[in-house]
Amino acid sequence: MNAAPALIQIRGVSKSYDGVHALSDVSLDLTPAEIHAVCGENGAGKSTLIKILSGIVQPDVGHITVNGRSLNIGDVHASEAAGIAVMYQESTAFPHLNAVENLFVGREITRCGGLFLNHAAMKSQTERLLQKLGVSVNLSAPAGDLPLAQRQMVALARALSWDCRLLIMDEPTASLSNRETQTLLRIVRQLRASGVTVLYVSHRLDEIFQIADRVTVLRDGRKVSTHRITAVDRHQLIRHMVGRSVEESQRSPAGTADNSPVILDVKQLTRRGVFSDISFQVREGEILGLAGLVGAGRSEIARAIFGIDEFDEGEIRVAGRPLKGGSVQDAMTSGIGMVPEDRQHEGLILPMSVGENISLAMLRSLTRWGIVRRQAERELTETQMSDLSVKAANPGIAAATLSGGNQQKLVLGKWLARNPKVLILDEPTRGVDVGAKSQVHQLIRKLAAKGLATLVISSDLPELLSLCDRLLVVRSGRIVGELQGATATQEAVLALALPDAAESRLPEAPR
Amino acid sequence: MSNSQTLTVDHDSRPVCFSTRFFRLIRQREAGLLLLISLTSVVVGIHDVRFFSVDVWRDILVRCAPTAIVACGVMLVVVTGEIDISVGSLMALLAAVMGRMLSEQEFDISCWIGIPVTLGLGTLIGVFTGSLVSMGRVPSIIVTLGLLTALRGLTTLMMGGKNIDRLPEGLTQVAKQGFLGVPISILAAAGVIGLTSVLIHHIPLGRRLYALGSSAESARMAGLSEVRLKLFAFGYTGFLTALATIVDVPRLPKIESGIGSEFELLVVTCVVVGGVAISGGQGRLIGVLLAVVLMTMIRPALTFMDIGEAGEKWTRAIQGMFILLAVVSDSLFSWRQRHSGKVHAA
Repeated sequence: MNAAPALIQIRGVSKSYDGVHALSDVSLDLTPAEIHAVCGENGAGKSTLIKILSGIVQPDVGHITVNGRSLNIGDVHASEAAGIAVMYQESTAFPHLNAVENLFVGREITRCGGLFLNHAAMKSQTERLLQKLGVSVNLSAPAGDLPLAQRQMVALARALSWDCRLLIMDEPTASLSNRETQTLLRIVRQLRASGVTVLYVSHRLDEIFQIADRVTVLRDGRKVSTHRITAVDRHQLIRHMVGRSVEESQRSPAGTADNSPVILDVKQLTRRGVFSDISFQVREGEILGLAGLVGAGRSEIARAIFGIDEFDEGEIRVAGRPLKGGSVQDAMTSGIGMVPEDRQHEGLILPMSVGENISLAMLRSLTRWGIVRRQAERELTETQMSDLSVKAANPGIAAATLSGGNQQKLVLGKWLARNPKVLILDEPTRGVDVGAKSQVHQLIRKLAAKGLATLVISSDLPELLSLCDRLLVVRSGRIVGELQGATATQEAVLALALPDAAESRLPEAPR
Repeated sequence: MSNSQTLTVDHDSRPVCFSTRFFRLIRQREAGLLLLISLTSVVVGIHDVRFFSVDVWRDILVRCAPTAIVACGVMLVVVTGEIDISVGSLMALLAAVMGRMLSEQEFDISCWIGIPVTLGLGTLIGVFTGSLVSMGRVPSIIVTLGLLTALRGLTTLMMGGKNIDRLPEGLTQVAKQGFLGVPISILAAAGVIGLTSVLIHHIPLGRRLYALGSSAESARMAGLSEVRLKLFAFGYTGFLTALATIVDVPRLPKIESGIGSEFELLVVTCVVVGGVAISGGQGRLIGVLLAVVLMTMIRPALTFMDIGEAGEKWTRAIQGMFILLAVVSDSLFSWRQRHSGKVHAA
């Protein structure tokens, strides 16, 4: 098909864990200076493929050649030496080390014959790389304290810090806002122009169509197809991914009537230095979206409403009853539920079973004389699992073993079991595959139809537009516009969300 | 939280004025510890001005030395996300082995052989501990808890119910009088502190220990060897325990089988109070050293308070109170930071 000789040939690679095929007989050619997208639902085998290329995982069979030379698979250093670099999804950074240290762990620049660290050289190279990426990062702060988008840039800089021929990017934009995504895509194109091959793994089909030269679809550990990007369209790709036709997302039905009662009433909420003068109402059965760039203060507003953070001024009422600020307990008894952005850490207790996770949020109603009624717990978890269509072998397996989409449904279920009046969802479908995404959307709509007031925060604009009755746009800690879901367009939201040059910083705290 | 590496990065960049440097160096936990040390000194000094004499502080530093030496090793173990609570028993075993080898009443072997053998044995036991933890995949708290008992038992067997005395004259002389008037244990501690500081700030290995403790998963992806790093951390601790034994034990009139009991608790306390996160990945040497001084100075300080026998009884209570104060001052500091409107994350 393509005349160019392959840079990397993957031949007949298979890997199974405990008899379950994660990858079976996958062969793939990557040509020099191409952007090759890989997509597939969660569990399709993308991560395993990445781990094999980077040398972390040893395949059961199969071999890989780089420029015609056989690669010693299963050795991180051999993969590095062959010019394969990986930018992992989130969290790869060492949270306690600063950006410079993160970049060079394992491959420190040294002086005096390799004995001592060369701090100056590492620092200047970091600065140069970050400058090339067009971002400024506080180099002395621990990476764990940096905003997600900056952490992502540090991870990218790490991948670029040695001259790689193949750069593997695993969901690089999962935590980036629209504008940051565009910056990243621009960088990826520059890399291609300089001769680097990019293996781009993403759930976001828009991006794949924007930058990829070719696209390979994986499903259940097998390669379904490889196409030139110009030879496929979105629907074909989705069909290949899920093996059936899915309605990706549909416009929500007409919004709620303006006369339904106000459930969540936020008045002039201010947290100094973070957001100010935030006022809005959410009515019964309404889905309200908060749009804006990452770092604009959306999540912080949600955290303040749910009582995780305190606020300095303003008032929050739930069904007319004022909330005590800074008390999650009070927010919960008033009927607010929140599904946090970082569901792995804040939403679920991963080592605990699926059933225990569901019942945890409402143990009190399941106990009699202080003892958990096992029968009632079992009934509750079974109903919830079927209601939410959580795919798990049984309620006893650990939540950690579920796919991202199923974990997300579980978190939703955990909160729904309490019958909340208000539900706050922060990035409800981040890292979730297309099929599960539409199920999560349907679930949210179904709940709203039952009268739940819902507040959705998302960086995925098409998601917000299709899901929400109304959109508020947040910029630099303020609400800068309101759009009706039925008439809003991506362009209109972006025009409001992008900061003017004059105010790219957050409001200053009064001294 | 404070992190130890900022210091070195600043080092190479722009010059900062001394006071800024100083305050950046002494952060949060360190500030609390320094405050407690100064307050104690002032209170005791007002009561009896002799507390500020060179001899008193020389005595305090001599008492600090073995704890500081071993804490340098245990700190690195904790930084990798593990713990070692066997150093007290290891010290006892090494003291017994060294004593029986060198004592004029026992084997009477030359110091030139006995000392290297002691150092080697300490390192070997440390590496063995590390291998059980990293290759055997047994949690370090369980491994070292087992060793705490086993090594103590071995010591009792080796001593056979007798105390060991009559160590070679030369060794006890050096331990007591030191070198050019500076006690040998203080010299050893200074050397170990310098070495550890260089290791942490300027050598790839030290940086990798922090990386491993910060995220074991990421460390694996970066191609770091968890086994090798942990073998080093435990081996270094074993070596330092042997060193502390060699410089400190000959000061004592005799070696008893109960030597070094609860030493492991003191060391772990100093490491944790000094601000090293028990979950790994962060902690600064300076904090650990300040904690060692604070914990050690209490008993000598109490002897200046004219409370006689009561001083002995109060030591523990005051140590406990200081541990709580140091930790509380830390969270008070971060509470104030949170409420003064300063927010890290945009």
